[in-house]
Amino acid sequence: MREIMAVVYREYLVRITGLTWMFFDLAVPLLYLLMFGVAFDRALGQGLSVGGQPVSYNAFFLAGVLSMTCFGNALNTSYGFFVDRDNGILFEFLTYPMTRGQFLLGKILFQCAMTVLQSLLTISVSAVLLGVSVPWHFILFVLAAMIVGTAGWFFFLSIFAFLIRRNDTFNLVINVIYFVLMFLSSVFYPLERVPTWLRTVAMINPLSWHADFLRFLTLGVGTLESILLEVAGFIAFLLLSFWAAIRALQKTL
Amino acid sequence: MDRSLAIEVNSLVKVFAKRDQRAIRAVDGLSIQVPKGSIFGLLGPNGAGKTTTIRVLTTLLTPSAGEARVMGYDVVQNPLAVRKQICVVVQENAIELHLSVQNNFRVFGRFHGLDANEIQRRTERISELFGLREYLNEKGMDLSGGLKRRVQVAKTFLIDKPVVFLDEATTGMDTFNKRATIQAIKEESRKGRTIVLTTHVLDEAEVLCDSIAIMNHGRLVAQGTVDSVKAYGLRMMSLSMLLADVSSSTLELVRSYQPSSIEVKNATLDITVKDDNTALAILAAVRQHTEVRHFEITTASLEDVFVQLLDKKASPS
Repeated sequence: MREIMAVVYREYLVRITGLTWMFFDLAVPLLYLLMFGVAFDRALGQGLSVGGQPVSYNAFFLAGVLSMTCFGNALNTSYGFFVDRDNGILFEFLTYPMTRGQFLLGKILFQCAMTVLQSLLTISVSAVLLGVSVPWHFILFVLAAMIVGTAGWFFFLSIFAFLIRRNDTFNLVINVIYFVLMFLSSVFYPLERVPTWLRTVAMINPLSWHADFLRFLTLGVGTLESILLEVAGFIAFLLLSFWAAIRALQKTL
Repeated sequence: MDRSLAIEVNSLVKVFAKRDQRAIRAVDGLSIQVPKGSIFGLLGPNGAGKTTTIRVLTTLLTPSAGEARVMGYDVVQNPLAVRKQICVVVQENAIELHLSVQNNFRVFGRFHGLDANEIQRRTERISELFGLREYLNEKGMDLSGGLKRRVQVAKTFLIDKPVVFLDEATTGMDTFNKRATIQAIKEESRKGRTIVLTTHVLDEAEVLCDSIAIMNHGRLVAQGTVDSVKAYGLRMMSLSMLLADVSSSTLELVRSYQPSSIEVKNATLDITVKDDNTALAILAAVRQHTEVRHFEITTASLEDVFVQLLDKKASPS
């Protein structure tokens, strides 16, 4: 645990040197919700029907914004490996008395704390300003889902950060992945009325599994069986990505 | 496993194979032993395989074949145990650019299990030793290249790991700091720490090292104490002859004595040979073959020996 906390301490020291960055990190999910969410909410007028229940787009989109927050935080953290590699410090880290797994866990743990703060802020603002009914009794589950989501995506994106040498190539690849994952998922819209091919692809998209679980917690839509299957799927995705990221980290040298 | 050894490397091979490219044997059958508490220098030109060897020993790379042990721990079987025994100055300028020098020390100390008070106490000592006191609040990104290197080297003296790897540690340092670093390395060795350093500066190795190994093209070219390698060098001779005519038959004749090197400049033939007897034998043979207008036999310098050794792909140890 000491090793993981040493990485967290390092991340903390590095992050507090960029308070603007930190503020922007906290504000991005809110901006998504207030700009994109509000605009769609108004455009749709009567809202959506999800699983037979009428819901406002803001209430529907809250889970999507939270999922995107996890992905965005994971992306920023994994991009940090390019900076560390360019500084040479990444190689030095790997000679420190810790395992590769401890290094990755420490790296994401600080970001998970940031994600929890972002989530609380976003959920609170959506309740106060947008009138979204928030099931506060599930809040611990929501925060746990945010931590798991951030870690899962971080491990997944780290694989690319370790295997791709050029940051411009990494940006290109991640943009494509981001585009495909975001728009072929249940983040922005319910999947009930989309074409069958899109629904099929979205159903095997880990981003949909994560967003569906958050939506189950915030809106109560979905069946427990299907949600548990998606949760299990996401955890398997996380573990597989963790394993692959450790292997990719060794190959980056 | 010999308990008196800090490092034991046997027939180590590291091959870098990339798709559609010829595989490169960066380390090719290297065997070295480093006794505990000694200063060991790994010498060789750029691309000799020194850094690759250090990277294998510090668990950054896994070997393709052979074995390597640090303080008795196998680098492949037990990399974490190896990392608990070492601290490393990597070849790259590794410093946290966004953090102050003080925070660089804090982070490094935390990673190696020191508490805040101990880090503070040791920071004062090493900042004095390396002349960093006035830079403690400066951010890494605001330091010159030499200062960054100094911070990086200073970090390794913050902790007490038994084996220290310094990969081209003094690169970019001015004379004053180089001297301070060399002094600090010597002091740490006296405390019983094993220091492994790579360099291509012979003088540095001569001042610091108890034993050295010279690498080229991934192979060991020579190994031993500094004195034994120097003694090997002292036996080597340079023979320079100004001839009436440098014909191909003369060159053939000289080559039959298997000199270490032959260089022809106009009518002058510069030859390096293993010992004075060979030099005299070549001179006598050439005099019977053609007119020798002038000749000179001198002892080869250590620099010459080094260059000669590196010109061979593999050889005596």
